[in-house]
Amino acid sequence: MQNTRRLVGKVGNNVRAVVVRRHRPDYQIVLYMGLLMLLGLVIMYAIGPQRANVLNNSYGTDFYTSTYFFMKQGVSLLFAIAAFVIMATLPYSFIRQNALKILFVGLGACLLLFVAGNILHMDTIAKCELGGTACRWFNLGPLGSIQPAEILKFGLLVYVAGFLGMRIKQGLVNDRDKTLIPLGALIGLATLFIIVIQKDMGTGLAMLAIMASMLMVGGVSKKVGAMLIVVGVVAGLLFVVTSPHRVERVTTFLAGDNSMTSGDADANYHINHAKIAIGSGGLDGVGIGNSVQATGYLPEAINDSVFAIMGETFGFIGLTIILLIFTALLLRLLRITDHLPDLWMKLAVAGVFGWLASHVILNVAAMIGVVPLTGVTLPLLSFGGTSMIFIAGALGLAFQLSRYTIHESTHKETNYENIGSRRGVGRTRYAGTRRN
Amino acid sequence: MQLDLAKGSRPRTLAILVLIIMAVFVVRLFYLQIIRNDFYMSAAKQEQQRQFVLPAARGEIYAMDAGKPVKIVMNETVYTVFADPKIIKESQPVIDVIQRIAGGNARANLDKLLAKKESRYQILATKVSLKQAEMIKDENLSGVGFQRETQRVYPEGQLAAQALGFVDFEKKGQYGIEGAQNERLTGKDGLLQTVADVRDVPLTIGKDNIHTPADNGDNIVMTIDRNIQSHAESALAEGMKRSGATNGSVMVMDPQTGKVLAMANLPTYDPSKYGQVLDAAAFNNATISAPFEPGSDIKTLTLAIGLDKGVVEPDSTYNNTDFIKVEDRTISNATKGQTGTITYQRALNYSLNTGFVTIAQKLGNGSSITRGARDTMYDYFHNKFGLGVLTDIELAGEAQGTIVPPTDQDGGAVRYSNMSFGQGMDVTMVQVCAAFSTIINGGTYYSPTIVEGVMSDDGSKIEVAPAKESRQNVISSSASDKVRAMIHEARSTFYSSNDTAGYYTGGKTGTSQTLRDGKYIDSETVGTYLGFGGNDSSSGGPKYVIMVQVSGKNMNLTGSVDALPIFTDISNWTLDYMKLQPKG
Repeated sequence: MQNTRRLVGKVGNNVRAVVVRRHRPDYQIVLYMGLLMLLGLVIMYAIGPQRANVLNNSYGTDFYTSTYFFMKQGVSLLFAIAAFVIMATLPYSFIRQNALKILFVGLGACLLLFVAGNILHMDTIAKCELGGTACRWFNLGPLGSIQPAEILKFGLLVYVAGFLGMRIKQGLVNDRDKTLIPLGALIGLATLFIIVIQKDMGTGLAMLAIMASMLMVGGVSKKVGAMLIVVGVVAGLLFVVTSPHRVERVTTFLAGDNSMTSGDADANYHINHAKIAIGSGGLDGVGIGNSVQATGYLPEAINDSVFAIMGETFGFIGLTIILLIFTALLLRLLRITDHLPDLWMKLAVAGVFGWLASHVILNVAAMIGVVPLTGVTLPLLSFGGTSMIFIAGALGLAFQLSRYTIHESTHKETNYENIGSRRGVGRTRYAGTRRN
Repeated sequence: MQLDLAKGSRPRTLAILVLIIMAVFVVRLFYLQIIRNDFYMSAAKQEQQRQFVLPAARGEIYAMDAGKPVKIVMNETVYTVFADPKIIKESQPVIDVIQRIAGGNARANLDKLLAKKESRYQILATKVSLKQAEMIKDENLSGVGFQRETQRVYPEGQLAAQALGFVDFEKKGQYGIEGAQNERLTGKDGLLQTVADVRDVPLTIGKDNIHTPADNGDNIVMTIDRNIQSHAESALAEGMKRSGATNGSVMVMDPQTGKVLAMANLPTYDPSKYGQVLDAAAFNNATISAPFEPGSDIKTLTLAIGLDKGVVEPDSTYNNTDFIKVEDRTISNATKGQTGTITYQRALNYSLNTGFVTIAQKLGNGSSITRGARDTMYDYFHNKFGLGVLTDIELAGEAQGTIVPPTDQDGGAVRYSNMSFGQGMDVTMVQVCAAFSTIINGGTYYSPTIVEGVMSDDGSKIEVAPAKESRQNVISSSASDKVRAMIHEARSTFYSSNDTAGYYTGGKTGTSQTLRDGKYIDSETVGTYLGFGGNDSSSGGPKYVIMVQVSGKNMNLTGSVDALPIFTDISNWTLDYMKLQPKG
């Protein structure tokens, strides 16, 4: 019983139950994740000394040793691996059942942060940026900090997977009043916290990407999809034009290569130096430990800009390999979501895909100057705890769910043109039919 | 990778989207990293590569202290404190700190300087010591920076100021040895071309790094003896005070080598405050750059020519009438009454012009200063003794002076008759000292020099400068012996009563008229004294030659009253200082 879960699904146009044996998970996820984590560790080892030097000089201390970032990244990796293992082994049903609680924890944490940071200005608890207006982290003292937006993101993922799955079963996925408006309200609330209050466009976009991926895989109609895209673009433009630093980033971006010599805006400088780092890497890079941009020229060299430093260090070949690994990982996730007969699982893995894909694409595209900077981390490579731990946890969940795939695409099943007539298809009804 | 994504499925659409986006990324990377690689490489290089000048330390300057070199010009590191008024939010704390720590080095009106918010650079204090700079740094004032600089310091104050010169604000040597030897003292800056981090800290990363170490400037050791120099300066100042002279110069030379032991000029200045000097004349080293008519001192040279040519002997006589006619001019003696047949020794003792005109005549046909006589005199004065010729002493601003040659329309018998007693010629003290050294040292001309050599950077070893040109047998040694004895006699007769007993000195006064607008005027005379001291030739000969010159506007200064006591003072002191063994 432990190893066998009876799941109900349909293959082809025939409504029938599918009993899925819990099988080997997709170890390629571990492979790609492991490779990326290793690369992240290597780059921390390579540029750690330069970075430490810059910080020591800036603050006039010798607090940062040359292995500081390497060690800290190592610790983060241990946490990330732990998160992966927990999410890979903790029965998904537990998460599924507690999805709403997780969502509330996320929302509550964001609310708490808002109260502590933006209203009470409690510096010891809330860590803020942009002159104290963008409070994004809870200070955990020696343990570092935690970003509640990540919890919210995860909560949304697991909750909406259930909600949307239910609506799909009910055939109401495109229903304005029952599906789109409640979902819109929820996303709106999350957006309010992440993009408006915390001013974190990157995380907000990632969250929207998670939702979009789930809706897409969940089979929302093209008409609704188009409508959502229009709403999203309009809302996005509104966010941009209401925030000076976003306008700056966009105008910097639009100025393109000409901005190489003009302007002194931080974002301009950041993008230019990312491009210098990448461009000067050439075919095979300057080699480990020879990065000059990491000595203080390129901002966020070990965090958001680590892709550029890797470009300088490993060159075109290195970056192409990194992109290939990400691509492989993303395609694996798509395969899993496509082959999962259970809707919650399917949507959850689609959300994980959206999460990872949005981070990779937003980060890389900004570094190579094709979209404006949004400030998202490069998953598994960037220095830093919260982001990596949650991404690893999300991958752990996908890894667990990869045990329940079937051999063929569930494509036909997700043609929901008349799914309404199958309401009531449920586990109990079919549970016994395959038993002899 | 087997994905088994069914045709038309949504994940398949997403997969295609992912592949397209990744393909765009790879193309973009190809563009950035391969096609535009050169552009970004040069952008990176332009930004990362720095060229640091490794400043060469300016050579320090040593003088001698009884044979041991000591530093008289040193380098000191000082700091300029500057501020970026735009960054400084509150001026008062900055002003308080700067005024408290930098004290007198702080500039006035700090509040006004800091109020210039539009400027990004204001100097708050200059020449702040390392310690002060560190104290200011400890205050952690934001927007305040430091610039390291080296400046010259002069442990001996004004000593030998004109011989030393100074280093101007552009770090260029001016006047004196600083000016003349600027290139040697400056050395050659090194270059460090390297990749640097954003704070300009050089990194070891990079392929085109260049490191050329700085070649420090030479540490020049001067022949000047700081003790003789110091005494010469004070003796000159005292002597000038006695006579009221406004200008005075002293040169002390070693007649056996041509090395300058002292050169003093008044008025002088403080080289560490050269910017406060109102009259740039104070920078001039009159001993080398102010040609003048030395007057009767030159009679010793004329006598030496006569002795060397054999036309006179110490006991030769001539008939003195106190007047002598040369062409259409009548030349008279300043001291009258020694008429009759008298020796040349007597003519020297009483400084009788007529006697030396007769020597010039004897160099010709006996009764007139023929072209042949003039050629001979020119050959000695100009070619052999180096009058009117640059000595190439290692100092800035040497003047050549003039000895009019016989070939010149102006170089007739009248001029040469004047030249025989030191008028009608323009020469510098250093030329006269070198010439005088020649006739008393046995006949060898040593080019005057003020550079002993180059001190190693650790101050342990002097690399001795190659000897400058010398000319032997300019006059015969017997002629030299004779003229030295006669000069000794000339001093002994009237002026040696104040000399320290037991030594051998000699000298000649000079009182020369000055030219103004091409005419000699009687209302202003320059007093000079030219002499030597040491032992007689049996115990080593003269050890020093001293020339003193004093003058003042519209003042009648004489060699015997105004210049001679200064000589005596320096001479006696030097004899004592040199610890020469007195005779009997």
